[in-house]
Amino acid sequence: MSDKPDVWQGTLALMVLRTLETMGPQHGYGLARRIEQISGDLLALNYGTLYPALLKLEQEGYIRSQWGSSENNRRAKFYELTKAGQRRLRKAAGEWKQTTEILARFLDDPSEA
Amino acid sequence: MNKLRAFWIRLINTLRRAPSEDFADELEAHVAMDAERGIRYGLSPEEARRQALIRFGGIAQAHDAYAGRQGLPWLESVLRDVQYSVQSLVRNRLVTAVAILSIGLGVGSNTTIFSIVSRFVLRPAPVGDPGTLLSLHIMHDGDRCCNQFPWPVFSDLREQATEFSDVAAYFDLIPASVSGGSEPERVWGQGVTPNFFGVAQLRMVMGAGFSDSEERAPVVVLSERLWKRRFNSDKGMIGKTVILSGHPFTVSGVAPAAFHSIDQIINAEFWIPLGMTPELAAGLPPRDSREFHWLSVIGRVRSGLRRKDVAAELGTIADRLAASYPATDRGNHFVFEQAGSLPPFARSAVLLFLSALSIVVLLLLGIAGFNVANLLFAQAIHRQREMAVRLALGATRGRLVRLVLLESLLLGLGGGTLGVLLSLWSTGALSSLRLPAPVPLNLQVSIDGRTLAYTFLLSVLCGLLLGMAPAWTASRPRIAYSLKQETGFAATGGRFVARNLMVIAQVAMAVVLLALTGLFLRSLESASEINIGFRTRGLLLLSVDPRLNGYSPSKISAFLGQLRERAAALPGVDAAVCSDVPFLTGGNRSDGFTILGKAAKDDPSVLADLYMVTPGYFAALGMPGLAGNDFRQGTASGPPVAVINKAFADRLFSGTDPIGRRIEGGGRTYQIIGVVGNAKSRTLGEDTRPILYRSLDQSIADDPSMMGYTLIVHTPSNPAGIAQALRRAVYQLDPTMAVYNLETMDEHVRTAYVLPRVAAMLFGIFGGIGLVLATVGLYGVMTFAVARRTREIGIRMAMGARPAAVLRLVLRRGMALTFTALALGLPAAWVIAKLSSSFLYGIKPHDAVTFTLVPAMLALVALNAAWIPARRAASINPTQALRME
Repeated sequence: MSDKPDVWQGTLALMVLRTLETMGPQHGYGLARRIEQISGDLLALNYGTLYPALLKLEQEGYIRSQWGSSENNRRAKFYELTKAGQRRLRKAAGEWKQTTEILARFLDDPSEA
Repeated sequence: MNKLRAFWIRLINTLRRAPSEDFADELEAHVAMDAERGIRYGLSPEEARRQALIRFGGIAQAHDAYAGRQGLPWLESVLRDVQYSVQSLVRNRLVTAVAILSIGLGVGSNTTIFSIVSRFVLRPAPVGDPGTLLSLHIMHDGDRCCNQFPWPVFSDLREQATEFSDVAAYFDLIPASVSGGSEPERVWGQGVTPNFFGVAQLRMVMGAGFSDSEERAPVVVLSERLWKRRFNSDKGMIGKTVILSGHPFTVSGVAPAAFHSIDQIINAEFWIPLGMTPELAAGLPPRDSREFHWLSVIGRVRSGLRRKDVAAELGTIADRLAASYPATDRGNHFVFEQAGSLPPFARSAVLLFLSALSIVVLLLLGIAGFNVANLLFAQAIHRQREMAVRLALGATRGRLVRLVLLESLLLGLGGGTLGVLLSLWSTGALSSLRLPAPVPLNLQVSIDGRTLAYTFLLSVLCGLLLGMAPAWTASRPRIAYSLKQETGFAATGGRFVARNLMVIAQVAMAVVLLALTGLFLRSLESASEINIGFRTRGLLLLSVDPRLNGYSPSKISAFLGQLRERAAALPGVDAAVCSDVPFLTGGNRSDGFTILGKAAKDDPSVLADLYMVTPGYFAALGMPGLAGNDFRQGTASGPPVAVINKAFADRLFSGTDPIGRRIEGGGRTYQIIGVVGNAKSRTLGEDTRPILYRSLDQSIADDPSMMGYTLIVHTPSNPAGIAQALRRAVYQLDPTMAVYNLETMDEHVRTAYVLPRVAAMLFGIFGGIGLVLATVGLYGVMTFAVARRTREIGIRMAMGARPAAVLRLVLRRGMALTFTALALGLPAAWVIAKLSSSFLYGIKPHDAVTFTLVPAMLALVALNAAWIPARRAASINPTQALRME
C-alpha cells in the first residue's frame, strides 16, 4: 500500500464542494482526479468512499446530479453545486480556515505555545 | 434541516427498496474513463482496465457502502425481522387470531376504564396554567367536607391573601331561557365576579371577559357551544344583545367549547357578572350575610409558591376571621385542591368505584394474558425444531430471542389496536348515557392522548411479558434432541411448575372477577325489584320554569292552572297535575319537621323531602291513599295543609293517627290532611325517605321552586303520542316559554336506573369476557398437559394401570390446581367485595348466593376442562401412545 495520507474524516465533502465550485459540473471520476491533482498527488483518495460521500451530499441537498455525456462522449453522471451547497461551502471553508490558522500559530511558533 | 432531508430520502428508499442499477453504471463509467487514461499512456485495453480496477479498490465494498448510504441499514434489518414475524404470525393464523382477540378484549376494557379515569381524575381544568389555579372550600369542624363561601368571607379572603395573585368567586348555576330564533330553550349559566376570566386565564374564542367596572353591567360571555347552537357561530356576535329570561345582555365574549365549568362536571353555557345574577335567579342570599354559603371560589397562586405556604396563610386568615366574627366563623377553616379536581364530596366514592373497575379490568387483562402466554408457550415448544435448525445454521440466540419477542410485541400491538377500536365504541356508548340529575352535567368521555399513550404502553408491556417465556424456551432447545424430532424437555419438570402457577393465577383471578361481577349483577336484580311506590305507565312529563320569563308567583299559579286545563282537554288524557320536581331526579329540597309545639331536643323530629303538588296528584301517579284526604281545589288562601307519606307518619307519630295534627318545619306550619304510601324520592338506592307533600298553590308565593315546575299527564294510551300536543299547549299560552325534560315517566325512571344499570352492565360484560377467557384457558392448559404426558400414560398403562386409575391421576392434578386457586382467590374477592359495598343495592357484600355459585361454577368448569383430556388419555391404546411423538 502507498504511504500517502488518507483523506481526513469530514474533509472529503469540503473538497468535493470546493472542486465543484471551481470546476463547475463534474462527474465522479473527474472529481476524484481533480482532488488528487490539487493535493499534488499527496492524497490517496479511496474511490469506494467517494461515491457514498457524493450520495450523502446529494441527499442533504448540497449537490444535485444528472446523467450527461463526458468529453469522450461517454455517458456519465455529473454533479453540480446547489445554492445550499454554496452556502454550506462558505461556512465550512470559513471554519476550516480558522481552525487551521489557530493550529498553524501553535505549530509555527513554539516559543508562544 | 439538511440532515433531516437526507434521513427522509433514506427512509423512503428503504421503504421502496429500489435497487440501484444507477450506481453500477456510474462505477462502470468511472472504471472506463480511468482505463481510457491508461490507454492514452500506451497500455493495452485489457491491461488498462485491469489497472483501473486495481486502483479503484473493492467494487463490491463500494456497492455495499453505497447501498448502506442509500437506505437505513438498521431499519432494513428491523423491517426484515418484522416481515418474518408477520409471516410467522400469519402461518399460525388461529393462534394469532385468538391471541389478538384475547389481548384486544383485555386492553380494550382497560382503555375504556382508563379513559374514564383520565376524564374525571387526571384531566386538569381547561384553564390557563391549571397547576396554579386552586379551588377553595370552607370546612367546618366536625362537618363533612365542604361548604361554599358567604360573600363577606370571600371578600375578606381576597383582601388578605397574599399568596394568591387574585381570587374570584362564582355562583354555580343560574337557569335562564334563551329566546329568539327557534323555540325558546332553557340553558344554565354561572354568575361570576368580573375578575373570574382573568383568574382562570381563559383564552376567549372571541371578545373578552368582564372588566372590573362591569360588576353590575348587563353583559354576558357565551359558551362557544351555545354560540354555535343558537347563534349560528355569528362572527359579529360581540356587542350584540341576547335575551336571557326576558333581560337584555350585551355579548362581551365567547368562551371556548372545551370549558364547561371549573369543576368540569356542571355544564354551564353562559356567564354573567355576579351583580347581575339576582335578575335571573330569585332568592339569592343577601351579600352582607356571613351565614349563607353560596359562592364557589377559585384562587390563582403566585407561581413558585408551595402548597404548604398557601395552607399556612389560609390557616392564619381563618383564625383571624374566627376571632373577628366568632358567631359565624368560629370552627371554619379553608381547604383547597387543584381546580378541576373531582368535587371533594364525590371524590372518595368515585375513586372507589373506579378502583373497583380498574381491578376488574386488570384481572381481565391478566386472565387474557395468561391465556395467550399459554398459547405461545405451547407454540414455542412445537417450534423448537425450527429454532434448533436456525441455531444449527448459525443464528445467534440473541437473534432468536429478538424474533420471538418481536412476534409477541406485534401481537401486543395488534391487540392494543383492537382494544382502541373496541373502546372507541364503548366510550361512545358511555357518553350517550343520561344521568338522573336536576342540573345539566357534562360527562362526555372520549379517548384522549393520555389514554392512547396508556394503551400503547400497556400493549407493549403485554407483548413483552407474553414473549418472555416463549423467547426463553425457544432460544434454548437442546439441539440434538430437537433435531431428532423429540421435544427437548418432555421430561423436565421445571416448566410444568411455571404452567401450574399460571393456571392457579388465572383461576384465582377469575374467582375475584366473577365474585365481583356476581355481586353487581345480583345488585341490579334486586334494584329492578325495588318498589318505587308510583306507577310509570301512561305518564308524560313536561317541565317549564315561568319564573325565567318574569312571571310573578300568582301568575305562575294561574299559568299552571290553565296548562292543566288545556292538557286535560286533550283527547285521551284522564289526569293532568303539577309538581315542582318529579320523583327520582337525584336531589330535592328537604326540611326538618317536628310536631307543633314539641320542638324540644328529645321530641321526635323528622327530615323530610318537600314536594309541591296539585289536587289529584296521588291518583294520577297511582299512589295509594292510606288515611285522610287529598288536597282540594281552590285552597290557595286557606290555612296551609300537607299530605305525608307513611314513613313520615311512622317516624313522627309512631302509630297514632296523624290526621288533623299540626307540624312545623322550614319556618311554616302545616295541618296534616292525609297519609299516602311511600315512594322513592331521590334515587332508587335510597332507604325510604319521609316525604311531605304541600299544596302548590299555597306554597308558590313565599317559597317558589328554583328548579321549575313539572306537568304530569296520564293517558291510558301511549303517552309519547301526545307529547307534541302538550308542547303546543304550552306555546299557545306563551310562545316564549322554554319547554324541557319532555319525556314519559318510563323514560324518566329508566334514567334513574342508569347508575346501577351501567355498573352492572360494565361488570357483567367484563365478568362474561373473563369467564370465557378463563374457561378457554383452563381447557387449553389441561388438554396440553395431558397431551404432553401421553407417553408417560402409555407406559403406565403398558405396566398395567387401569383406565380408571389414569383418569383419577389426571383429574386429581386438575382439581388440585383449581382448589389451590379457589383458596387464594376467594379471600381476595371477599376483601374487594367489602370495599365496593357502597355500590350494591339491597345486597350484602358477602352475598351467600354469589359466594357459593361462583366457586361452584369455576370448579365445574375446571372439572370439565380436566375431564375431557383425562378421558382421552384413559382411552389411549398403550402401543399407540408409546409410538407417538
